[in-house]
Amino acid sequence: MEAVKKSKKKKANQFPYGIALLVLIVIIGIILSKQSPQLAVRWAFGIAFGFVLQKARFCFTASFRDPVLTGSTSLTRAVIVALMIATIGFAAIQYSAYLNGDTIPGNISPVGIHTAIGAAMFGIGMVIAGGCASGTLMRVGEGYMMQWLSLIFFIIGSLWGAKDFEWWTETFISKSPQVFLPDVFGWGIAFFGQLVLLGLIFIFVEWYEYKRFNTKNLSV
Amino acid sequence: MAEYRLDCLGEACPVPLLKTQKEMEKLKVGDVLIVEIDHSCAMKNVPEWARNMGYNVEIEEVDDGQWEVYIEKTK
Repeated sequence: MEAVKKSKKKKANQFPYGIALLVLIVIIGIILSKQSPQLAVRWAFGIAFGFVLQKARFCFTASFRDPVLTGSTSLTRAVIVALMIATIGFAAIQYSAYLNGDTIPGNISPVGIHTAIGAAMFGIGMVIAGGCASGTLMRVGEGYMMQWLSLIFFIIGSLWGAKDFEWWTETFISKSPQVFLPDVFGWGIAFFGQLVLLGLIFIFVEWYEYKRFNTKNLSV
Repeated sequence: MAEYRLDCLGEACPVPLLKTQKEMEKLKVGDVLIVEIDHSCAMKNVPEWARNMGYNVEIEEVDDGQWEVYIEKTK
């Protein structure tokens, strides 16, 4: 295959830009920390999160789309692992709040028909746009022009959503029940049940990928 | 051994992979397909799919944020 390759084009050295950007990030971090330490922490986490997303080519869209489209489930499994880690972390935070008798932190929101409608709309949108929220932002940073368009309409859509949110609240959200699994099943079953369920899904998608590629290879 | 080029520059994520899949079906064993992409997500799923199918894959970054994926149809 070596003969097929064309010689590389001369690339601009990006190293100085990287150093300049790093210095800029640190300077902005210091300025933010003077305002409030929490801002600086959020700044650092935001940068780190974006870096990991870009380098890992982690994509929530692909995790739901690729199994259907190509049979590849590596990103699906990555999302399941991420959910497991998040489950353990959030359970620790929430359980300690519960033991102290504080109000339980986290986004515990009413679930109902509006959840399903929103999920379907978001799913269709993210596959067409080629990225979910974090994926779109990441590719805006990479300089992928089409995603800049996505971002503009993402903002317009969010504003529109905020405008209609009152109607959704009145019609569906206020009438829907708020489900917090530990209240329903108890902490033990909710926590370990969720981990076991995620583990089962993990095994299922791995089997699915194996099955899909092996039946395909036989027909080729 | 023939080689074919597939221009997927400017195509967002699932499209390069779908085009590659269609194109690979037309190729004979031993042919090489060169997929030109500039979407970082396709950089992951095109080689992954091809390797899963058992093809030989090599990736070359020809320019900043632009790649050529070499896929050799082995079977």
